[in-house]
Amino acid sequence: MTAAVRPDAGIKLAGTAVFGTDLDVPGMLWAAFVPAPIAHGRLRTLDLRAARALPGVTVVGPEDLAKLLGTGERDLERPLFADGEIVYRNQPLAVVAAPSAVEARAAVAAVKVEVDPLPIISDLETVFPEWPGSDVDGNPQVAAHVRARHGKVEAEFRGADRVISETYRTASVHQVPLEPHACVAEIRGDVWYVRTSTQSPFGVREDAASLLGVPESAIVVDGTWVGGGFGGKGSSFLEPYALLLARASGRPVRFALGYREEFRLGRTTLPAVVRMETAVKDGRIRARRVRLLLDVGTSLPGRDFATGYSIGFLLGPYRTETFEVEGYAVRTHKPPFGPHRAPFAPQCAFVVESHLDHVAREMNLDPEEFRASHLWKEGEATLLGQTVGPFGISAAFERARATARTWRAEAPPGHGVGIGCGFWSTSTGAGGEVRLRLDPQRLTVVEGEREIGSGSVIAGLAAVAVRVTGLPRDRVTIEYGSTAVAPFDSGVYGSRTLGALGRAIEEAAVRLRRTLAERLGARGQAELSVERGEIYAEAGERRAAITLLLTPEEQAAGGLVAEGRHTAPPRSIDEDRVLAGSFYPYTDFTGAAHVAEVSVDPETGAVRVERYAAFHDAGTVVDPGAAQAQVEGGVAMGLGAALTEEAIWSEDGRLTNAGLLDYRIPTLGEIPPITVEFLEGFPGAGPFGAKGLGEPPIVPVPATVAIATRAACGAHVTELPLSAERVARALKLL
Amino acid sequence: MTAVPLRLTVNGQRREIADVPDPERLLDTLRWRLQLKGTKEGCRSGDCGACTVLVDGRSCLSCLTLAREVDGASVTTIEAGPEEALVARVRAAFEAAGALQCGYCTPGFVMAVAGLFHERGTAAPRAELLEGLGGNLCRCTGYAAIVRAVDLLRTGGP
Amino acid sequence: MTAFDLVVPATAEEAIAALQTLGPGEAAPLAGGTDLLLDVDEGRLAPRRLVSLRRLPWRTLDWNGDTLTVGSTLPLRSLEDDPLVRTKYPGLYEAVRNVGSVALRHRATLGGNLVRAAPASDLIPILLALDAEVDLVGPHGDRRVPVDRFVQASRRTDLQPGELVRSVRFPEARPSDFLWQRVRPANDISQVVVAVAFSPAGRFWRVAVGGVSPRPTLLLDAAAALGSGRPDAEAIRRAALSAAAGAPFVTDRRASEEYRRRLVATLLERTVSSVARARGFPA
Repeated sequence: MTAAVRPDAGIKLAGTAVFGTDLDVPGMLWAAFVPAPIAHGRLRTLDLRAARALPGVTVVGPEDLAKLLGTGERDLERPLFADGEIVYRNQPLAVVAAPSAVEARAAVAAVKVEVDPLPIISDLETVFPEWPGSDVDGNPQVAAHVRARHGKVEAEFRGADRVISETYRTASVHQVPLEPHACVAEIRGDVWYVRTSTQSPFGVREDAASLLGVPESAIVVDGTWVGGGFGGKGSSFLEPYALLLARASGRPVRFALGYREEFRLGRTTLPAVVRMETAVKDGRIRARRVRLLLDVGTSLPGRDFATGYSIGFLLGPYRTETFEVEGYAVRTHKPPFGPHRAPFAPQCAFVVESHLDHVAREMNLDPEEFRASHLWKEGEATLLGQTVGPFGISAAFERARATARTWRAEAPPGHGVGIGCGFWSTSTGAGGEVRLRLDPQRLTVVEGEREIGSGSVIAGLAAVAVRVTGLPRDRVTIEYGSTAVAPFDSGVYGSRTLGALGRAIEEAAVRLRRTLAERLGARGQAELSVERGEIYAEAGERRAAITLLLTPEEQAAGGLVAEGRHTAPPRSIDEDRVLAGSFYPYTDFTGAAHVAEVSVDPETGAVRVERYAAFHDAGTVVDPGAAQAQVEGGVAMGLGAALTEEAIWSEDGRLTNAGLLDYRIPTLGEIPPITVEFLEGFPGAGPFGAKGLGEPPIVPVPATVAIATRAACGAHVTELPLSAERVARALKLL
Repeated sequence: MTAVPLRLTVNGQRREIADVPDPERLLDTLRWRLQLKGTKEGCRSGDCGACTVLVDGRSCLSCLTLAREVDGASVTTIEAGPEEALVARVRAAFEAAGALQCGYCTPGFVMAVAGLFHERGTAAPRAELLEGLGGNLCRCTGYAAIVRAVDLLRTGGP
Repeated sequence: MTAFDLVVPATAEEAIAALQTLGPGEAAPLAGGTDLLLDVDEGRLAPRRLVSLRRLPWRTLDWNGDTLTVGSTLPLRSLEDDPLVRTKYPGLYEAVRNVGSVALRHRATLGGNLVRAAPASDLIPILLALDAEVDLVGPHGDRRVPVDRFVQASRRTDLQPGELVRSVRFPEARPSDFLWQRVRPANDISQVVVAVAFSPAGRFWRVAVGGVSPRPTLLLDAAAALGSGRPDAEAIRRAALSAAAGAPFVTDRRASEEYRRRLVATLLERTVSSVARARGFPA
């Protein structure tokens, strides 16, 4: 096992790395939201006068926008402030900035808000106490409706030996980065400038432009070190408000959320109810039906990404020729659904894995063999008719089974061993570009993605650059630049960094090495090496130090530059399968099988994970230390979703456990020893056959824990998280 | 408002800090008055440990400590120099073990580990040391590499 | 966060006076501050003045051969570290070492926890099981009150205006144990807390529960069912059933009433068994 080598370790251990919350600009003001006091109502009065009158305070409310916003096209469906109707608790009504945090809070307290309450829709059951009927379209609480089918579904269900139906419920979970959202905005002449802790500087730029009505070229976004993102910092949030306050006050403005606000305003995975029906004949799955009710908070109709995307994960990596799937994105009075790490996929894997395990048991079939025999093989078809590419899920499952056999043999009474698997598809985003700059001493990778912590940039991309140039690691520097200077990239999300920017680096390196070869009078690509502290290029019969191969202009500009770009190829789907709504095509197929040994306290239902193993198909692993670290971190996060994490909303639309005491992420003592193994031989679309690894590790975890729990004590829990009380109820202890 | 300057020895340096209001937390005095941003602001409710510093050698949640309540004390933060040998060793162990990813919880963890070793000695039982870190949250690493760093320290490394 | 001023008196008399110069509820004593400052930040309390207790000579731990007296501002970590506490009052040791985190316990105090009287306090049940007493100082003199009388309801004690807890007195060393059930093992608020102790001199058991109702309580019937010595399995079962049948038990976001009843029964069986089986249990 290799320790991850982190070039950023030095400054982080010295305490000198600057995160969003550390930004400190002379004269800066401190911002705060004026929050809506109820989850649904009409805003009758918003009196900002007393707040405005406080010394040093700037207020931006709805009436101020006309003079502050740009004149370009704006996204009018996403108002910055509640537009007469409040649709979730704490929705911003206005923003204030003041010389200190204490004064900002005082300004907020001075705002007079009066609302006329309206009925609050706090959960799925309020909208749909029963499953939706055919009259669902046109229901204003339905933000999206997706439907797909293939094969003779009714016939297969009629002819089945048995149909097994179950309902599952999954909870809302939060990303919980240790660092809350934070940024500092300034107006510099014509430029709207913001430094922010974000996964996607270009995403923030695009989003801010459309919210502010300002051209993207007028906005510069500069990223800081990021104290965790996990999907929650993938698009703009505080930045447009900070920019408006900067414009209104003429001062730099710091906007950082308090941690309770992080929970209350967070856009993340929300609760869901899933109905699974499986028709079995002769020991095989003949047909499946899936119905999904997904709470999407106040997501706008037509803007839901989650439902069509999640349906595929509810079918899982299993051969399913005959199926019908239907999903509803249901609007409630909560902040909108937003991306978590592998958004909602761990919950989907929990459902499909638990269900198929249950189906096998009901049919007296070996549950592991049952799942293994239905796993996708390369060349088979997905939900949308796409062809499965090289995919190591079966190999991972076999490794998991071998481990499970050993652990079962060793396990004391009261312990259980279970396997869960999950797949993932890396996102594509809008592509990415890099520039490679070669000077006599080093190769600099100029790119627009921040290293947000996973190592995908500082370790992963650097590893790719090392491989494609042959230079040693200490000669490669990653140079991150703001949106003003760096080449475009969509951002760090969807496990896309290696695939997108990695490929772009490959392309740029090929160009670089070809250019060097030409200058040496040869064909093909030059080889690079380091001698006596300098970089040399060699091609054909000739060899020269880089310093001799650069033109005067290049010397002055800092080196020879080559560009590379990657855009994902378009993916086609079988449109005949789609009956309603939009779905989400897959790109790469990556997946894992995990094994857990758990013990269950037979009197309290408390589950403890004793040991854990993860077998991953990540294609080619370019940086083993960083890859190991991703799996360890993803498994820990998944254990939280499996056992202790649950955001609990009250009937009046209030998040009741908005804090790190009552929303429980795992502590050090709860994490078992984790063995990690990568299976190579199933290349992906990334450089050297790499596949993304940021998200796959979390996907199988809740499923694995649930199946192991059932093995340990027989409790079949159909809800996440597997709290001790839920297990106790499943064991009929209450 | 107390007009008397606050006196702290921070990382071996004696500091006199004027105009510290009574309600101010040690976390904010360090970050915004002394410009020592290494200590991080997380939950501000004592639940995450990101704000951990040492006060007279013992770990302290600086977000829940009034600066004036530790008047006269010796405070050690992540910015401590090489003369703080234990902190330096812990840093080295974290680096060798690759025990960080985003790095936000890292200063708090380093100080918590240093505090435990200071209190209990490096020969303390492993279980006691690991249990003693239950108040520091990490969301990136799953703690595995942090445990490896602690093991490295216990066995005399790095 | 409200603005408050901080005074740091040198003696108990000065502290009492500082508490009384403002109107009722306007001044609050500050020990470790780990609960108080959060209450202030989150708007549950809005004192104009905090009276720091840090200079008072109450960070003490005294054992006179029979009785343990713990100064109210002694940090919990010091209590946890003392080998005498661990051997003489094992239940107290178990309770203290599970409060919050190490850094928290460097500041949090027994006095602060007691005065806050939280329903899920990890410390009050063991104080009840040990028949602890509170020594108070105040404008009208000193007094001693059993913890069982001192803690009255959720967040309410018998503390009078101007009074301070000086120390907590444990009259008898007792074999004792403490168990909690939480959603996660570390740094959490308990769903259920059970503390048990056996009095070697009086030959009776004490059983206390916390986290199940607004006020931590002694369960007299359950204790009586355990008898006057080492209980057999049947007696333990009877005691557990009696404890589970007690009232009132709450349902909240941490656990339902039924689950709490089950936990109380299980934790009682386990704590009593562990105490009864321990070496040194009086024959």
